[in-house]
This record gives sequence, structure tokens and C-alpha cells, in this order.
Amino acid sequence: MVGFPPAPDEITALIIAILTSHTFIRVIFFPGFIHLTLVVIFLTWYERKVLARIQLRIGPLYAGGPGGMLQPMADGVKLIFKEVMVPYKADKPLFLGIPLLLVFLAAVPFAVIPFGQNWVIADLDVGLVFVFAMTSLFPSMILIFAWASNSKYPFLGGLRSLFQQVAYEIPMWVSALSVVMLAGSLNLVDITKAQSKIWFIVPAFLSFIVFFISIMAELERLPFDLPEAEPELVAGWFTESSGAIFMLIFMGLYMKLYLMSSLVTVLFLGGWWGPGFLPQPLWFIMKTLVVATFIIIPRGVYPRVRVDMLIRTGWTRLLIIALANVFLTVLLLESGILATWGL
Amino acid sequence: MELVVPPDLVFVILAAVTLIAAIMALQAKELIYGAISLGISFIGIAGFFVFLDAPYLAMLQIAVYVGAIVVLILFTIMLVRREEADELVDRAERGEGAVGLWLAGLLAVSIAGVAALVGPSLPNTPPTANLPVSSLGPVLATEYPVPLVILALLISAALLGALVLAKLEK
Repeated sequence: MVGFPPAPDEITALIIAILTSHTFIRVIFFPGFIHLTLVVIFLTWYERKVLARIQLRIGPLYAGGPGGMLQPMADGVKLIFKEVMVPYKADKPLFLGIPLLLVFLAAVPFAVIPFGQNWVIADLDVGLVFVFAMTSLFPSMILIFAWASNSKYPFLGGLRSLFQQVAYEIPMWVSALSVVMLAGSLNLVDITKAQSKIWFIVPAFLSFIVFFISIMAELERLPFDLPEAEPELVAGWFTESSGAIFMLIFMGLYMKLYLMSSLVTVLFLGGWWGPGFLPQPLWFIMKTLVVATFIIIPRGVYPRVRVDMLIRTGWTRLLIIALANVFLTVLLLESGILATWGL
Repeated sequence: MELVVPPDLVFVILAAVTLIAAIMALQAKELIYGAISLGISFIGIAGFFVFLDAPYLAMLQIAVYVGAIVVLILFTIMLVRREEADELVDRAERGEGAVGLWLAGLLAVSIAGVAALVGPSLPNTPPTANLPVSSLGPVLATEYPVPLVILALLISAALLGALVLAKLEK
């Protein structure tokens, strides 16, 4: 116990105890703030490089580091020193506050993502529902930000973003349901542990396809990037953002990309499991980056779908496939085929 | 070395956030601020569920109420023309306040009455802390199958109703 008023050496002991505690290390270094920031910085460079290679360009090159890897730093410095322009008659508190909330909402779910057997901040019993609850707050934030911009293009982009994300949330949840049934738990650590013998991509392949397409729509990635369709809406719902606000929104979006990729890794690709010569978190990050690559590549390959195609695919195809897969999973579990893998 | 927060303090803060946000939701001049306040109020209620050791319910509260109901309200606000919305606000301010006050008073009196009647027996409910989520399903399927089926029927009826309404529009 620490007395009151505490002696100086007691205060030092307390600070050292806090700094070396498991929770502190996990929140600040890995898998918390510093790791997330570094990965987001890396992903912005990585996406530009991948897209450049697809289009037979070179991409960032001159900013320093191998392959211009320091380009995001240069971009960051540029954006921070730019003036933040708030549009005429815009709602200032919302316009400046929502981007911060977007980063926050994208970062908080990482508390329950297991990067390794011991590398998880909060071993929450309802981890998967927590992640879905947090991501379900994105569309309303985006619409409020678009409304606060007081401009036509952001507003139209915000409305599109809202109906797109709300429509694709449902197939996403339903397709994750079969994984929950296979693992018998909503805890992401337990879900990963259940995949020690077989990754869930094998017994729940249809779910994987549906989930992957749904997160592409959730992330507003091509071919589903209607909310930021450049030829129609300038840049969609963040048209009016500039300087540091733009940087915050981009950080939020890339963090969400990383979040969704890691969710695919946890649910379908066996999480931290891999051959023992590499540490578990490294396997996790490698798998996640592979998933992120497959989310990025379509941006350089496919054209954009129409609004009606998007909505029809979401409600009439993906949802039905996901529901059918739930029944298929029940059959698989009841037939006992999966018993050899301990499911 | 663990920071211990008195439970009463948590309750008071949660109650204050929920109530103030709920009042703001009704009093906001700008409709969108009302919707945001409603969302904050729902998050406060989710906090109560966490406080009551029901994290699953809390997460669903956020996902369904903040993630879907508030979105629905936002959609409605965006699609209603500005003048109509202002007219609605004006009408609400004219005389319905007294009715609201009456209803709130009635609710307070009835809650106080119920509390006075059955109050002492309430804290004796068995503690349910640290139950895993997976124990929820068996309880629903074995102890409350009839309410579950009725709920399912209600939801399908609502779905069919929505379909019929959508067809009528054509």
C-alpha cells in the first residue's frame, strides 16, 4: 500500500510498476498505439506502391528509405502544416470532432484482437460482438461529418456510404455467425484456439467469400467505392476536409482496413497459428498484410459497380448465401465430419 | 495495485450522462444534435448493462440502437425537408410539454409505488456475475422457448409488413 502523502521513492516505484505492467506495454507498444500507428503509416505507402506496380508505374521513390518508404512521413508533415479550412456555415464542432472519433473508433476494437496467445489487451468474452458494435458506429459518424461539411458532394457521399455500410453489415454479421458456431464462442481468443488443427476457411469457405466481399463494401474499397466516386462526387464524404482533418480521416480509414484484415485473419485464417520458427505475432501480422493486399489489389483492377447492382448483390445474393451457409454449418457440425479436427 | 472506483460514483455518472443526453435529445434546436444526443443516451444505457455484468447485452445495445436506430433517425432527418422539420418542432413546443410533464410525473409515481411495494425483495435476486455468454442460449431454448418463438413471429411479421408497405408504394 502507498501511504499518503507518498514518499518520493514510493512514487518512483509506482511509476516503474505502471510502466512495466503487462497492460501498459500492450496498450502503448504492441498491439497498441505505436504498432498501430506504424502499420497505418506503412499501409498508406504500401497501397500506393502496389497500385503503382499494377499500373506499370514506380510509385513513391524520392522521399528516402528503400522504395521511398518515408513518403508517408513527408505527407504527414505537409498535411499538419497546411491550413485546416472549415467551409462556410459548416458545423464547426462536429466538423473538427468527428475525424478524431473515427480514429478512436477504428483503434478501440484492437483491444480484443489476439495477436498472439499472450498478446491481447482485453480477453473479452464478447470480443466479436464488441468489434461489430464499434464498426457499426462508423456509418452514422460518416453521415454526420458529411452533413457538418455543409456541401453537396460530401452529403451525397455520406448518404451513399450510410446505405452501403448498413446494407453490408448484415451479410457480414451472418457470415461470421457460422464461424461462431464452429468455435462455439464469441471470444476471439477462443475462436483462434479452436483453429489449431484446421483453419475455418476450409469448413466455412462460403462464409469467407461473403465476409470478404462484405468488408470490401464496408471499407468502401473498389469495386464498392461509390461513396467516394471521384468522377461524380469529387472525393465523396471527405471532399471538404483539408490538412490535419484529412490526415485524421485517412488514419481512421487505414486503421479500419487493418482492423477488418485482422478480423479476417482471426475468423478464417487461423489467427496466430503457424510453424513455430517465427513468433506468433509475426505470423498474425504477415497473414493480415496478405489479406490487406488482396483488399487493395482490386482498386487497380476492377471498375466501379452501379448503385442498384451494389444493393441487389448485398440484399439478395450475399445475405442468402450467408444464411444458407449457416444451415450448412449446422449440417456439418451434426454430421460429425468435423470431429476429426476437434470441432 | 488496482484503482478501485466506488460503484455508486459509476452509477451516478452513467445516470447523469444518460439523463442529460436524453433531455438534450428532446430540447436540441438542430434535429441532428437531437439524434446525436439520443445516441449518447443509448451508449449510457449500454454502460448500465456493462455495470450490471451483462456485456453481451451492452454490445448489442450499441450495435442495434446506436448503430441502427440512430442511423434510421438520421436517415429520416436527412430526407425530411427543412421547413417541414421546423414546423414539427414548433408544433411540439406549443402545448405538448405539459402532457410530457404529466406523463413523467405519472411514471415517477408508479415507479415509486412499485418500489415501495416490492422494494425490499429486489436486492435478494441471485448474483449472476461472470456467467459466460454461452450460457445464454441454453436458457433461452429451455426455459423461455415460448417468448422466443413469439419474438421470432413478431420479427417476421414486421418484415412482412415492411415488404407489403414497400410493394404498396408502387
